[in-house]
Amino acid sequence: MENETNEEFIEKNTDEEDIEEFGDDETSREVVLPGEVLTEDTKNFLPGRGTIYNSERTKIISLNIGLKQISKNYINVIPLRGFYTPRPGDKVIALVVDKNPVKYKCDINAKDFGTLKPKNTIKRDKNRSYRGSGGGRGRGNGYSREEVNTNKFDIGDILIVKILSADRINKPELTTVGKYLGIRNNGVVISIDPPKIPRVIGRSGSMIKMLKNLTKCNIFVTQNGRIWLKGEDLAHERLLIESIRKIEAEAHIVGLTDRMQEFIMNEKKLRGLE
Amino acid sequence: MPLIIKDEYPEELFRKDGKRLDGRDIDELRPIKMEVGVIKNADGSAYLEWGNNKIFAAVYGPREVHPHHLAKPDRGILRVFYRMATFSVFDRKRPAPGRREKEISMVVADCLEPILFLELYPGTSFEIYIEVMDADGGTRCACTTAAALALADAGIPMKSLVTAIAVGKIDGKNVVDLSGIEDKAGEADLPIAITWYNEEISLLQFDGDMDLDEMNDFLDKAKEALSKIHQMQLETLKSKYIPLQGETTNEKEGEK
Repeated sequence: MENETNEEFIEKNTDEEDIEEFGDDETSREVVLPGEVLTEDTKNFLPGRGTIYNSERTKIISLNIGLKQISKNYINVIPLRGFYTPRPGDKVIALVVDKNPVKYKCDINAKDFGTLKPKNTIKRDKNRSYRGSGGGRGRGNGYSREEVNTNKFDIGDILIVKILSADRINKPELTTVGKYLGIRNNGVVISIDPPKIPRVIGRSGSMIKMLKNLTKCNIFVTQNGRIWLKGEDLAHERLLIESIRKIEAEAHIVGLTDRMQEFIMNEKKLRGLE
Repeated sequence: MPLIIKDEYPEELFRKDGKRLDGRDIDELRPIKMEVGVIKNADGSAYLEWGNNKIFAAVYGPREVHPHHLAKPDRGILRVFYRMATFSVFDRKRPAPGRREKEISMVVADCLEPILFLELYPGTSFEIYIEVMDADGGTRCACTTAAALALADAGIPMKSLVTAIAVGKIDGKNVVDLSGIEDKAGEADLPIAITWYNEEISLLQFDGDMDLDEMNDFLDKAKEALSKIHQMQLETLKSKYIPLQGETTNEKEGEK
């Protein structure tokens, strides 16, 4: 008996995985609201992201305004509105809002400002010696004393930073050392609702590839809802911005990538950008 | 010589045909219109027209607390700012927040707190700004209803919506949804709010006189009216997203 049930269970799982793989754009998605009962079948389902049990554990209810999604035996709600919570490792676009001799204060569209320390803005000296290159405070740790200051960036600069640490209590700490990171002196930054960023990227980057190819723009999409973009000319940039706004407005509707491709092709013809 | 207008109330609060002064039955609500996402710069917002009440609610947060000493290290705080416009009532309302504003702000905050997960956001604040543009009785209930809508629109995780209504007694009859004049001239007035998560009463205030049987009757009447309003709240929130979905599916069907 046990074996049979096990087999059934496995089969069921694989079926649902298949659906999930193709399901991003195909399955019709239901809009749910806070407090809405998602299921009363608590034996077969567990509350996943954005859901909780009610106080008697007889129902699973939604916490957000979002789209209901079932993956394996978890019920999730993908939010349609919300705010960005920083996580270590995220690459985000930051705006320098304040600086003093020991740190920069950066707006990263989260509840706290991020701190960027000068030692996180310069590369460590590879062949550091015991004495160090600068001596004094910088001795032995690979940072030269002359470079550990906040003259590198100014207030109002736009930086792409990586989050080193973030939790509920402390302010997030940032770094500009790494691939793609650092100051951006050109291009445009626009911001959209953070929960809609996954739709701009698309399933395994399909949407963003399509946008890049059709508008011939460079795009850098970050988790905090800000998008840096730079194109050949203003007309292409403007088309891209309008497309992103359209994605934001229609993020919850099925078949988004195909419709966006159609939209951009049409607009390009109308505007003579071919 | 300043013109002095005394408050005058009609002797009877029921018409000869048995209806109330504004033509409603005893358990009929005033017309209600709701809208979400009306204020662009807010994280979430709602507009509510409830009879003659016109109310805006805007939600911001989670964000840093100012003044900083109010911040709690172990949990976030919810602050509500209830304000009435100077032109919202018959006599000009003095714009400075007084005892009444502070009380209602506190009442609304206490009523909404149980549905939020404030312990997940230590050191921060959620702020709800409620502006009453036109007042005609039951504003604290209408404000609670609008604030819950705005919170949901902002995408703040919450256990359920909150709905509020005032029930009361006028000329010896138990009625639902008191208007301004019924509130002032009536015998009893009972604002009541419910959290739908576990159907608990979140706000219960009382003014006037009644006995326990009447109290039970009030609660039954309120429950019925509250579920109607809750349904309206849900439809309002869904209507922000569903029309777009409908449009595109219709287009697709048309193509086929």
